[in-house]
Amino acid sequence: MSDYIEKLHEAVLNYDIEKAEQIATDAVEAGVNPLEAIEKGLTAGIREVGDRFHRFEIFLPHLVLASDAATAAMNVLIKAIPKDQLSAVQRGRIIVGTVEGDLHDLGKNVVVMMLKAAGFEVYDLGKDVKTDTLVERAQELKADVIAVSSLMTTTRPYQRELVEELERLGLRDQFKVIVGGGPVTQEWANDIGADGYGRDALEAVAEANRLLGIQE
Amino acid sequence: MIEFIEIAERARSGPRVDEKDWNMMLFKKMQALTKEYNINCQDVDEFLNTDNSIADAAFQAAIDFIVDMGAFCISTNRVIKFDEFEVKQALRDAPNQVHMGEGRDARIFKQGKIDGNEPININPGHHAPFTEDNGSLVVKNFAQIPRTDFIEGFNFPAVDGRDCYHQPFEAYAAIREIAWMREGVRKAGRPGLAIVLYPITTKASSLIAPMNPQLGLRPTDGLLMSTLPDVKVEYDHITTAIVYSSYGYFSVNGSFGMAGGFCGGPEGAMIEGIVRPIIGYMCYGDTLHYCGVEHIGYVMGERIILHPMNWARSVVYQAFNRNSNLIYMDWNITCSGLCTETGLLENAVRSIEATVNGAALYAPRVSRARMNAGQTPLEPEFMIEVSDATLNAGLKRKEAGAILHKIATKLKGREPETGKTIHECYDLIHHKPSPEYHAIYQNVKNELTQLGLDFYI
Repeated sequence: MSDYIEKLHEAVLNYDIEKAEQIATDAVEAGVNPLEAIEKGLTAGIREVGDRFHRFEIFLPHLVLASDAATAAMNVLIKAIPKDQLSAVQRGRIIVGTVEGDLHDLGKNVVVMMLKAAGFEVYDLGKDVKTDTLVERAQELKADVIAVSSLMTTTRPYQRELVEELERLGLRDQFKVIVGGGPVTQEWANDIGADGYGRDALEAVAEANRLLGIQE
Repeated sequence: MIEFIEIAERARSGPRVDEKDWNMMLFKKMQALTKEYNINCQDVDEFLNTDNSIADAAFQAAIDFIVDMGAFCISTNRVIKFDEFEVKQALRDAPNQVHMGEGRDARIFKQGKIDGNEPININPGHHAPFTEDNGSLVVKNFAQIPRTDFIEGFNFPAVDGRDCYHQPFEAYAAIREIAWMREGVRKAGRPGLAIVLYPITTKASSLIAPMNPQLGLRPTDGLLMSTLPDVKVEYDHITTAIVYSSYGYFSVNGSFGMAGGFCGGPEGAMIEGIVRPIIGYMCYGDTLHYCGVEHIGYVMGERIILHPMNWARSVVYQAFNRNSNLIYMDWNITCSGLCTETGLLENAVRSIEATVNGAALYAPRVSRARMNAGQTPLEPEFMIEVSDATLNAGLKRKEAGAILHKIATKLKGREPETGKTIHECYDLIHHKPSPEYHAIYQNVKNELTQLGLDFYI
């Protein structure tokens, strides 16, 4: 691994946003392959951060900081990638939200960070998100996946509403739908016609990879 | 105490902050405070804290947090600020006991004593999901537990066959939930038992809908109005507090610190676990708080994590006991399901730690509860027995901590067990567990007796 790539990796592990951006700039100037820098430096670093979080060695803010560091460097490196090679670093675009009427967002926040850690382009719409908003934003952003969380049994039907609304609008084939949250089960996901179910953040990432045909 | 309309004003006009920035500011502040007050869980050996100075330091750190940071309103993206005088005045004004219910079923719920010898208060129920056909029968069974001081609503995803989503349905479901509760407590022969509304959603419309002295929530009943993780509040709850304040109510606040979340590790979670109940009282008028410290992995039902969470929770409880009137409850949410030895041992841990730390019992349900598989009346009955056996044995924090250590050793490495549904392990008609569950329960009691608890039977 080149010195630059190793330093990028370290900057992510150290949650150092400014350093990550600077090293990325230096790497581009030094002629380092940006695809390699992203894959072996940033993505590998952020995967390691995700693993540490899953082992409960670090906490949610560390995921946020590591993600910010990786994003800062990514923004520099991506400009150096020829347009015809951009698809190599684009794993997919996912919008994430907690359904309407539900203010619980802890699990959703973890999923957001783990998806980012896995290299997805993630748009977090927050909590208490109306079905219409999820659909509109998915269309605007040309998302590949809509991932929705629900922590209350009573708000879980909004996940079904999302699937039904996509069908009604003739958009069902455009978006994969992943559901999750405390009262959500594989059986529920099957019942409502969701494409995927994640019991936890790791499973959500695995489902996103599976649905988008990405080999982990 | 600051009027709720003034809280609303501050939520409307306070400093504007992006939510992500608030989250990270909170993290940094928690890190700074844990360093300043030397709050550290890493080298702790004991399972329950016995050092008063640590509890006092954690409490002061929490006051500093509130004065420096305030609370974040997610409805407006603004910060509600407080000065030190207002915080201290609120702590002085907070009641140390709550009168609830009516007639011969009226109860007093109060702050317990550290290493005390009085039986503790208990609230079973609390939002496990049940299908509506179980409605009033489930409530009746929980109300049949003689020591039940109040009963909190359950989570019925459908009412009269209709899913409870979209505002009119949510309001209707809230009204029906309380009607079932009322019917259930009457069937149990305890018509005056206090009921707490479990919100169908947190919208003000569904919280206010069941306000009805004849058929719905009485002024001697309550509702669950929790502050959100990361010290956040919102308009619907403030609105509800304004409406109910002229009617009469008590409210319950789910307000633990979440280790692994934006507060950081258990150290930051201890401070958050003290901050959120105080904010709940100041912003919503909450008088009962199920609080303490939980681990994100435990709450999500992924892993049974005890130490140092038990210790951290004990610090929070002791901090309240030594520095305030706030009434705190130990929230028990097991990783393991019904009819399992592991689940009952998890319940025992919480009951013992609550008893010696002066916490009431906000008694159990399974963390990732499946439909009709969140709780049976056996678990709260068992927890009451364990609490009484702790008192009978004369256990104080030190000895109780040693017992927790032994239980933790037994549970080490165990994966959470899925368990059974209520109909597979409990007879709701005759109010008794299945022979299998009874045998597990009896074995666990025998194990606890060998560890030093003194059961009546």
